[in-house]
Amino acid sequence: MPMAFKDVNTRRHIGLQQLSSLASPGRTFLGPMKSHKFIVDESTNQSTLICSAVRLIESLDLTSAAGQLLNETIQAQNKEFKTGMSTLLFLVGAWSNAVMECLQQNVPVPAIVSVMSEGLNSCCERVQCLQIPIHDVKKELSEEVIPLNSRSHQGDDCHFNKCLVSPLAGFGSVASLVKAAGDKSSSVLSGSGVTASSCITKKLTHSRHFSPLGKSHFSSQQDNFQGYLSDPCGCCGLGHLAVALSHGNQTSMKLLQSIAAYQQERAECRGSSQLNIAEIVTCCLLGLPESYSCVSPGFVTLVSPEQATVIKHFADKSLRILLMDGDLTEQYRHLGFNRPRNVRTILEHPNPQESRAGDTWLSRMLDVLMSLEVNVVLVKGNVCENLMEGCIASRILVIGCVVWDVLHAFGQVTGAQAVTYLSQLNASCVGSGAWAELWKASDGRAMDLGELVPVRLGAGGIPLLTAVLTTALPSRAQLLEDQFWTLLYRLHHALKDGKVFPGGGAVELLCLSHIRVLAEQPQRLGNDKAVRELPSPWLAEYKSIVLQALASGWKQYLSVVLCNTAKAGSELEAGASVDHHLQKAAACASPSAYVLEEFRRGGVLGDGSDPFPDHGKTLKVFDNVAAKTEAWRRALDLVLLVLQTDTEIITGLQRNQLLNSHVSSEFMFL
Amino acid sequence: MSRLEAKKPPLFISEPLTRDAVSQSLSLLSGILKSSYGPAGRLKQLHNGVGGCVCTTSQSSALLGHLSVSQPVLRVLTASVQNHVSRFSDCGLFTAILCCAFIENFRSLNVAPFTVIKISKHLLSLCMDYLKSEACACRVSVDFSNVETLVCLVRSILTSKPACMLNKTEVDHLTMLVLKAFLFTVPCHVETNAILGKCVIVPVKGTRVVDSTVLPGLLIEAPEIQLGKPLAVKRTGSNAIKTALFSVSMAGDGFNPEEGTIAVHHGVSLEASELNELLNLGKQLVKDEVGLVMCQKVMHPCLKQYLKENGVIAVDRAGLCLMEPLGRLTGSKPMASIHSLSLGCYGSLKDLCFESFASKHFIHLIPEDTVICSLILCNRSETAWDELKRVCETAEHVLQLTMKEPLALLGGGCTETHLASYIRHKSSHLPANTFKDLDCSQTQYQLVSDGFCHSLETVARSLGHNNGEVLTDMVYGHCWFVPSGSPCVSNWADLVSKCGCGMNSNTKDLNWRFLQGQSSSPIIQSCPKEPSEKVTDLLTLECFAAKCSGLQVALETANLILDLSYIVEDQN
Repeated sequence: MPMAFKDVNTRRHIGLQQLSSLASPGRTFLGPMKSHKFIVDESTNQSTLICSAVRLIESLDLTSAAGQLLNETIQAQNKEFKTGMSTLLFLVGAWSNAVMECLQQNVPVPAIVSVMSEGLNSCCERVQCLQIPIHDVKKELSEEVIPLNSRSHQGDDCHFNKCLVSPLAGFGSVASLVKAAGDKSSSVLSGSGVTASSCITKKLTHSRHFSPLGKSHFSSQQDNFQGYLSDPCGCCGLGHLAVALSHGNQTSMKLLQSIAAYQQERAECRGSSQLNIAEIVTCCLLGLPESYSCVSPGFVTLVSPEQATVIKHFADKSLRILLMDGDLTEQYRHLGFNRPRNVRTILEHPNPQESRAGDTWLSRMLDVLMSLEVNVVLVKGNVCENLMEGCIASRILVIGCVVWDVLHAFGQVTGAQAVTYLSQLNASCVGSGAWAELWKASDGRAMDLGELVPVRLGAGGIPLLTAVLTTALPSRAQLLEDQFWTLLYRLHHALKDGKVFPGGGAVELLCLSHIRVLAEQPQRLGNDKAVRELPSPWLAEYKSIVLQALASGWKQYLSVVLCNTAKAGSELEAGASVDHHLQKAAACASPSAYVLEEFRRGGVLGDGSDPFPDHGKTLKVFDNVAAKTEAWRRALDLVLLVLQTDTEIITGLQRNQLLNSHVSSEFMFL
Repeated sequence: MSRLEAKKPPLFISEPLTRDAVSQSLSLLSGILKSSYGPAGRLKQLHNGVGGCVCTTSQSSALLGHLSVSQPVLRVLTASVQNHVSRFSDCGLFTAILCCAFIENFRSLNVAPFTVIKISKHLLSLCMDYLKSEACACRVSVDFSNVETLVCLVRSILTSKPACMLNKTEVDHLTMLVLKAFLFTVPCHVETNAILGKCVIVPVKGTRVVDSTVLPGLLIEAPEIQLGKPLAVKRTGSNAIKTALFSVSMAGDGFNPEEGTIAVHHGVSLEASELNELLNLGKQLVKDEVGLVMCQKVMHPCLKQYLKENGVIAVDRAGLCLMEPLGRLTGSKPMASIHSLSLGCYGSLKDLCFESFASKHFIHLIPEDTVICSLILCNRSETAWDELKRVCETAEHVLQLTMKEPLALLGGGCTETHLASYIRHKSSHLPANTFKDLDCSQTQYQLVSDGFCHSLETVARSLGHNNGEVLTDMVYGHCWFVPSGSPCVSNWADLVSKCGCGMNSNTKDLNWRFLQGQSSSPIIQSCPKEPSEKVTDLLTLECFAAKCSGLQVALETANLILDLSYIVEDQN
């Protein structure tokens, strides 16, 4: 196993260049107005519709070391927060470029590392004063009337509906969309089969960033959600928080409001104010318009028509339920069990009646199920098809590929104990009190979705909720699911943090303003051990360059969001707008007070040309605290980690492979 | 028909060190190691080039572990360093860089290798005698009744590897955790032969470093444990929990023959009989009032179910690494068979509870009085976590070594430059019979001594990575770093504020000189002094035992390599 080395530490750092180029396609995912992308696989000609940094990263070639680290970083943020990945990806690119410029100006690496990381720390401490406790948010939001219109399609939905009419026109052409946005007389929602309500005067309503819309422009038709939203007092706290965190995504927002209302009721019983993510699952139904999306208590899933007939036979019966945490097949053995290899079976007296040995397992299993009068079996893994048929004939409903959280929820309320093998089954493992029915849409519309039928299972007091995501476009299913989970986690983390940030660029603007202050105070930075021994005049020379680099990340972030949302025609114009606000903030005695005041007035980076300036009260938008600051930190950590790397060492590859490759001249061998 | 090929004769390579290929590889390796050294060291990305996981590191153990070197000369070097690291954990890069420097400096001298070896051994003994003497001005004693020096020692180790990606708050937090974990491993009641306990690192990746924590006892991951439910556990008469520990697989596949074939009659199920054995074992455990059954490997779900129904908590997949600490913690003897249970094998525990960190769930084993603890270590990214784990292990090991020998050496290059100053001073004041004893001339001695000092200074110089000047003062012999791009000034005092270890400030003119290359004029050095005012906070310190060993290993390895006259390579 020979070694190869590649020097990467030139003034044009290869690793940083790779990060920069990998991050560049992600800029259109910033802000509430995201442009979708088609990922086309040239070998199969299949394409996927994506609209998030995570899905983008999944589709990119990440064989380079920097790419691998970027992927790892994005996945870690996704795993913990499910939000902030686009911000992370964007800042990785912006800061990589900024750091490369510092290298061009001969700023030593330790100075970049020290000043940037301490600068970020300082900014994170500074923006703490903007945090708003959840309690205050709920109170404030509850005092405002939040429109809950499920049939008016705005914000992101407009974009989508337009795509529905003419998919090609919608993608990658933000400019055309932007034109339509300002034109009140034109309706982009024609012929889509979805009611275009009178509210299409302006695209972005719940924009996290800009141009909130006066409340009177909503048509307040509440439908579908009377079930959980009929009690405005009980749920408005969480529900309104959900709105404020949804950043304009109507469909997911409505689902979240229902979930919030439902869980709040339970939370009051439990005495905990947190959202329980483990009690929520999703089910995608293709073939229904998106307006049919809703939250159903219990477990909604798709089954075959044959299984659906079993449910019809159940009627209103209380069902006995069995939970299995493995596969339900004859060959399945628990994880860690090594199959016997060298065991031979000797048959001394062949008995022709036992020839169909394979069926004995089947009949034994069916006997077990019948004898314990099991009606429903939820299986974590796969189910043997023959057994499935046998069960249908015996009117036992067997559903495979059920996630552990669902099994757990049913176990809690029915008393069922999950088992691995049917052979270990005894009466105490079987739960009771479950029910099953065919799932119906809110208008009772029959579900004829081709080969699969949606059904709903539950049990008395089950805390489980299913977000049923409906769409007529199969390519959007994944996207809708991703968006739903993102918003759900935003609400979850807002409650977990106990506080939120004001949205709309407020936090980033304060960071920019704070960096100005830092640049003017020489003593505030550079206490790190790595540069401790450096005298301040030396550090001061580089400090302003490096702080500018740090600031440029957030400035570009704000500019790109302004452009993406058509609040600025060009990044130049957007940058000027940000500068204008920075000057105004600097002129104030307290920049944080300025930022908060602007936020309260309805948008930090509003450009004053709001068409509805008279509507004093506007919708608030909030951001997560930990998700945002962690995304910053992860982005900077990655850039600084790559910056400090000067050599790649390739292990495992054969020397000849490298010698013969076209990059062999870049390597040295030991 | 088989075809026989004549054996190739072995390849003899004489004077390997004079070969270009060898010196190129040596300087390449030396360059890689030097560039990785210290808190401002550059990182190396180790990966397979086709999308495998990336290890970003500047640690000798990770670097040398991945290097597979084809040059026999370099293999001698890396093996020595790895052996040192396996015994001391720390100072691996120091050893390797110093060894390379010795080879490079001594090779260029026009002195016969055996003379070089003799003189350098004498120089080493001067160093070691000085380091072990009370007069040594580059060491500090570590007071275990005061946390201050220990904090400096741990902090220096944590900050020496930039790939951990720690900020100041995180360094402070982890320093305290590492110290706390170490103190847990020190037995409270010391008898004649006290044995230090063990700190087990529990990985929680993808979260903030400040979420890390230390708990007494052990954690076993238990994904299926349901949180929020009270933990009902069976206790014995004395209110303790009786425990059983199995190192054998309880998955029910024990009948698998290692080799050969088993023939069974139709209708006989080995699986069923094995399960039956397991259930019999379960019955015995229940009868013996065991409250917690732990298994290194997998437990059969039926056995788990049986135990659960009888109020016994069963945890499987504990893993090999936990077996020894689990045995020490509970006093259980690991059972390697499911057929023989003896009462003497059971252990006991004070309490059990559930803990969860990020998305991981654990069962926490709380002992009565323990020297075993768990460090739940968090870091945001996988690559930074791996580096941080290695660093924390090093820090724990260094604390243990320091407990045996409560001394520390000044870091930041100061020990190296101070030793060089001391040797320069000492070697110019040697009694004449020394040269006779060593069978060398004074000139030869001076040449080797210069090479020796240059080598030490090379290590100190490798701490500066940005083309800045590195200085040493003629008063204390400490090491000073001038930032790159600094304007040319006549007075160095304007540019340096503190020496590498942090002991000295530039309050007065300390008569600085450059620390680079071979100087033409001999350096007249007086004996380096000990600073009058002792600074105790924010010092950079290094492990005494590890550094002393590193110095010896570096020289002995260099001498071994210098003495090589042939390499015999088997060509077959």
